[in-house]
Amino acid sequence: MIASLIDVVGDVAGADAMYEAAIRFAIVLAFAATGEWVAERAGTLNISVEAMMIGGAYTAGVTFAQIVSNSPSISPSIAVAVGLVTATVAGLVVALVQANLSHRLSIDQFVVGLTLNLLVLGLALFLDSRWEAVTSVAEKTRVPLLSDIPLVGDALFGQPWPMYLIVPVVPFAWWLVFHTRWGLEVRSVGENPQAADVSGISVNRRRRQGIMFAGLASGLGGGVLVLGQISIRGYATGHVGLKGIIAIAAVIFGGWTLRGTIIGCVLFGYFFALQQTLPVLGHRINAQLAASLPYVVALAITAVFATRSRQPRALAQPFVRGLT
Amino acid sequence: MITMRRPAGPTMRRGVVLLGLYAVSIALALVASAVLIAITGGPWQKVLSALLDGSFRGSGRWGGTLGDAAPLLLVALGAIVSTRAGLVNIGQEGQVAVGTALATFVATRNSGPAALIAALIAGFVGGALWAGLAALLRYWRKVPEVISTLLLVFIASQGTGYLLTRTFLLLDPDPNKPNRVQTSAQVDPSTRIGQIRIFGNEFPWSVPVVVLLAVAVGVALHRTVWGFRLSVLGRNPRTAQRTGISVVRSGAAALAFGGAMAGLAGAAMLAGGAANYRYTPGFANNVGWEGLLVALVARNRPLVCIPVALVFASLRTGAGFLAATGVERSIVEVVRALLVLALLVPPAVAAIRRRRAAVESPTPVLPSAATTSAALGGAPA
Amino acid sequence: MGAQAPTPAVDLASITKHYGRVVACDDVDLQLHAGQIHGILGENGAGKTTLMKILIGLVQPDDGTITLAGRATVIHDPQTAADLGIGMVHQHLSLVESLTVWENVLLGDHARLDRRRARQQVADTAEHYGLGIDPDRRVGDLSAGMRQRVELIKCLRRDPAILILDEPTSVLTPAESEQLFTTLREVIARERRAVALVSHKLAEVLHATDVITIMRHGRVVDRRRTADASAATLARAMVGREVSLRTSAAALGAITLTETGELGAPEVEPPAVDMAATPVDTRPAMLTVQDACVVRDGVAVLDHLSIEVRAGEIVGVAGVEGNGQRELGDLMSSLIHLDSGSVTIDGSVVDTRRAGCMARHGVAVIPEDRHDSGCVLDMTIAENLLIDRPGSVARFGFVSKARLRRRAEELMAEFEIQGAAPDAPMRSLSGGNQQRVVLARELSHRPKVLVAAQPTRGLDVGAIEYTTARLRAAAAAGIAVLLVSTELDELLEMSDRIVVLSRGRAIGQLDRADATSERLGLLLGGVATQEALA
Repeated sequence: MIASLIDVVGDVAGADAMYEAAIRFAIVLAFAATGEWVAERAGTLNISVEAMMIGGAYTAGVTFAQIVSNSPSISPSIAVAVGLVTATVAGLVVALVQANLSHRLSIDQFVVGLTLNLLVLGLALFLDSRWEAVTSVAEKTRVPLLSDIPLVGDALFGQPWPMYLIVPVVPFAWWLVFHTRWGLEVRSVGENPQAADVSGISVNRRRRQGIMFAGLASGLGGGVLVLGQISIRGYATGHVGLKGIIAIAAVIFGGWTLRGTIIGCVLFGYFFALQQTLPVLGHRINAQLAASLPYVVALAITAVFATRSRQPRALAQPFVRGLT
Repeated sequence: MITMRRPAGPTMRRGVVLLGLYAVSIALALVASAVLIAITGGPWQKVLSALLDGSFRGSGRWGGTLGDAAPLLLVALGAIVSTRAGLVNIGQEGQVAVGTALATFVATRNSGPAALIAALIAGFVGGALWAGLAALLRYWRKVPEVISTLLLVFIASQGTGYLLTRTFLLLDPDPNKPNRVQTSAQVDPSTRIGQIRIFGNEFPWSVPVVVLLAVAVGVALHRTVWGFRLSVLGRNPRTAQRTGISVVRSGAAALAFGGAMAGLAGAAMLAGGAANYRYTPGFANNVGWEGLLVALVARNRPLVCIPVALVFASLRTGAGFLAATGVERSIVEVVRALLVLALLVPPAVAAIRRRRAAVESPTPVLPSAATTSAALGGAPA
Repeated sequence: MGAQAPTPAVDLASITKHYGRVVACDDVDLQLHAGQIHGILGENGAGKTTLMKILIGLVQPDDGTITLAGRATVIHDPQTAADLGIGMVHQHLSLVESLTVWENVLLGDHARLDRRRARQQVADTAEHYGLGIDPDRRVGDLSAGMRQRVELIKCLRRDPAILILDEPTSVLTPAESEQLFTTLREVIARERRAVALVSHKLAEVLHATDVITIMRHGRVVDRRRTADASAATLARAMVGREVSLRTSAAALGAITLTETGELGAPEVEPPAVDMAATPVDTRPAMLTVQDACVVRDGVAVLDHLSIEVRAGEIVGVAGVEGNGQRELGDLMSSLIHLDSGSVTIDGSVVDTRRAGCMARHGVAVIPEDRHDSGCVLDMTIAENLLIDRPGSVARFGFVSKARLRRRAEELMAEFEIQGAAPDAPMRSLSGGNQQRVVLARELSHRPKVLVAAQPTRGLDVGAIEYTTARLRAAAAAGIAVLLVSTELDELLEMSDRIVVLSRGRAIGQLDRADATSERLGLLLGGVATQEALA
C-alpha cells in the first residue's frame, strides 16, 4: 500500500505530462480567477463566473468550427483568434445580464448567478445540437531552448499560443486594481460602499464594471479551454464542470490577493492534472473518486484558509443608498 | 401624523403596473424561447403543443406531472427554510443525491412498510448530513455556504456514482439486472409508496402529503414562535444572538433542514417510482436545481410554491414528448431559466419604483422632530 | 467682520423644500461670507442637514435661489458643487479603513492616479494646515482624531472656497476638538474661506463661530453674532420653549456650561424612597465585571477590565471612541465571549459563550447602534417590541396576532410611541421613536441591569430628555445602570461614578463629587490617573 503510494508520487514527479497538464488547468482557472478576483474586490461574489466560462467555451468552439468549415482557406490561427474574441464577447454578455440584474435592479446576486449558470448551460447544450462546436487539436507553440528544459519545459514553454494570453492578463488586472483610479474606486466600493458613495463614486457602476471585467477574463478563459488545449476537441458540457466555482475557491484560498489567487489556481490545476494523468501513468483508480478529487481538495483547502484572511468587507452585500 | 396608511389609488395603480410588468416580461421570455427554437429550425408551435401533450393533454400525463411536482415542492420548502435563516443553500442537487443514496441502501436491503419509513428517514438524514457539512464549514471555517454547497453537488454526484460501482454498497448484485450496468437493486413492492389512481392517471401518495406539508411549513413560518425566531435570525443575526437565538446552532439547523427536505424528496422519488424504483447515476436529474428555482420564483412563500412547482413539473414531463418534434429537449432548461429571470425582474423593478417614489414624497422619518417634541409636552418633567 | 460684508460667498434666498406634506426647509435665507465661520444650530430634524444637502447638490430645492459670489447658480449634484468650490467634511463617513491616507484623500477625484505626486500633495496640504499625518498609514490604524484630520485634508486639498463642516467633533476628545477649531480659525482667517459649521452642540458653536443661525422646524428662528449670544438664549431659541436647562444643555453638548455656573443649580430628581434609604455602598452589586479580557485578532480589546455597578447606581463609562466601549457593549449583549475573567449578575456567574446569556440573567441593553443589534428594521413595531420573548404572546407555540398587538399597544402607550400603528414596519419610524421601541422592550421585563450605550446619540432634544428621564427612573427603581457615552456632559450629569476606558482598560475612576470636565478631559487625553486626580 505504502509502496504503491511512493510509486505514484515518484511517477507523478517524474512525468512531463503531469506538469504540462497542471499548468494547462492552472492557466484556464487563472483567467476566470483573475476576473473573479476583480469582481470580488468590488464587492460581488460572482457565481455566474461559471456561466461566463461556459458561454466563452461554447462560443469559441462554434466560431472556430464555423470559420473552418465555411472558409477553409483561413488559417487555423486566425480562426482561433476570432474564436477567442467572440468568447470574450460572450463572457461580457453574461456579465452584462448579471451586472444589470444584481447591481441595477438589486436582485440577489446569488439568485441571478445561479439562474444564469443554468441558463447558459442549457443554452450551450441546446445550440450545440444545431451548431456543433467541434475544433481541431490545438498546436503547441514551443519556445526554442526553454521548452527543452526537462520536466517543466513543455509545461511552461510548450503550450498552444492562446495559453500565453494569461501572461499579459494577470499583470494587467493587478495594474488596473492597484495603480489606476478605477482600481482605487473598485477597492473602495468593495470595502466601504457608503464611504465611496459619499465621496462621489457611483458604487453600483463600479461593481458592474468589476463584473464586466470578470466576464471578459472568464469568457476568454472559456475560449482558451476549448481552443488552447491539446487534449480537448470542441465544447462538451462537462468541460467547464464547475471550474468557475473552483476559480472562486482559488480567490478565497488566495485571501483576496492576486498572488495567492494564482497560487491557488496552480494548486487546484495540479489536482485536476492528477485526476487526468494517473490513469495515463497506469495507476488504477476509480474514475468517480478521481473526478471528485479536485473538488474535495478545493473544499478542504478553502476550509483551511478561509478563516485566515480578510475578505473585502462589503463582499456579497448589495448597496442601496439610504438603506443600512 | 406618521401613519403609514396610504390612499387606495396608488396601491391599486402599483398593483396594475406590477401585473403589467409580469405580463410583459413573461411574454418576452416566451417570445425569446420561440425565437430560439425558430432560428435552430424547429417549429415552435409544435414544441408548445408537445409540451402541453406531455404534461397534461396526453392520456395519463397529468398524473405524472403531479408526481414530478411533489419532489420539486419538497426541495423548495427546504430551500425556503434555509433562506429564512439568511443562508444561501444552492446545493440541493447534491443533497438529493446523497439522501437518495442512503435511502436506497436502506430500502434495497429491507422490505415492508417499516423499511419504507426507514428509507424516508434515511433520505432525510442523508440530505441533512450533506448540507450539515456545508454548515460545519460555514460556522467553523467561515467558508461561504454558496461555494461549499455548490462544490458538494459535484462531489455528491461523483461519490454516489462510486457507490453504484460496488455491490457491497449500492450496486445491484443480480447478474441478470436489466440494461444498465450501474444501477441499484429494485425497491421491493412492499417498500414502495402507494399510488393514487384517478381518471386514468396515477401518482404517488406523497403528492397530497407534500401539499399538506407546504401548508404546514407556511403556517410554521408565519404563525409560530419558531418561524418568528427564524426570521429574526435571517434578518438580523446579531439581534438574534442577543435575544438568545444561537446563530450557529439555529443557522446550522436551518441549513441542514434544507438539505433534509432535498434528501427526503430523493427518497420519496425512489419509493414513488422514479427510474423504475432503482437508484441510477444521475437519478437526481436536476430535481435539486429546479426545486431551488421554484422557491426563488415563489419568492420564498410556501403556498405560492405549489403552482410554481406544477408549472416546472409540466416542463419536465412535457419535455418527454419533445423527441417527436426533433427539437433538443435541453430547450426546456433554457425556457425554464428564462422564465425564472422573467419572474424575478418585475418585483425588482416595482421595488425600485417604490423607493424612487419614497425619495420624492414624504419619508415618515423626517417629521419626527416635530411629533416627538409635541408629544413631550405631556411627558413627565 | 460680520454680516454686513459686501458680496456674500454664498447667498441662499427663500430656500424651500417639501417632502410631501412635510416642510424640511421653509423660506430659509442664509449668507456665508469669506473669512467667517457661520454656525448653524438646531435639533435633529430642524432642517439644517437638508439645507446643507441643497448646498452640496444632494437635494434639489422646491423653491428659492442659490447665488455664489454674486452669480445665480443651480447645483445639480455633488460633482457640480465640488466644481463650484464647495466642499463638505463628513462625520468620518467617507473614509475607507483598508485604504491608506493618501488613497482616501484622492477618493472621488478624477485625475489620473499618480502615487508619488498624490502622496506629496497630501503631505504638503497636511503641513500647510498644521495637520501632521503620514500619507502611507492605513486609515483603519488611525485614531478618531487623526481620521478627522484625513477628512479635513481630503476636503481642503481641493481648495474649496466654501467649506461645510457637519458635526465635526462628534468623535473627538475635548482637546482634539479644541485643536481642530484653533487650526480652522487660523486657516479661514488667512485664506478667506467661507465656512458653515453645522452642529447641535451649543458650546462648540459659541466657541468657534462668528455668526449663528438657529433653525427650528425648517425655519430660521434666530440669527445673531456669536458675541451677542449666550448658551441660555441659544438653547431656548433652538428648542422653542423653556427647557430644563441643565439636562438639555448638557445633552446638547455644552462643554463649558458646567463651569460657567450660568445656568444655576442643577435640577434634582426626586429619588425613589427605598433607594434613597440605603446608601449606595451597602446595596448589593448587581453587575460585576471582573478582569474581563477579550482578544480579537491578537489585540486585547478588553484588557483586565473590572467594573462594578450596584443596584440603583448609574455608572458612566467614558472614553474616546474605539477604546473598548463597543466590545463592552457587545459583551453585555452576548455577542462576544470572554477569553478570561468573569461577569456576575446579581450573584450568579454568566457563561458568556451562550447566545442570549446576558438577557437570560436580566441584562437589558440599549445598543450603541440600534440597527446593529437592537431591532430588526424589516419587522413590525409590534414584533420588535416582543422580539426577545415571542413566547409570551403565544399559545402552544403559535404566536397570537391579537395578543401580540394588544401587548404592543400597551407598551406603545406606556412609552409614548405615537403616530404609528403596531403593524407598521420598524423602518418607518424616526430614530427617536425607534429608540423608544428599544427602551420599551428592554425595560418592559424588569431587568436587573441596564446597559445604555450612547443612548442619546443622534436624537433630538425631546427624545434626549425622554431617554435620560427613563434611565434615571430605571436607576431609581433599583436597576443597576451602566451608561457608556462619549458625551462628557451626559456622563457628568447622569452618573454616580465615572470609569474611564482606554485601550480596553479602566484607567481611572471618578466619583460624581470629584468629576469635572477638566479631570475627565485629562484622563481621556491619556494623562495618567494620579496626575488627573491630583
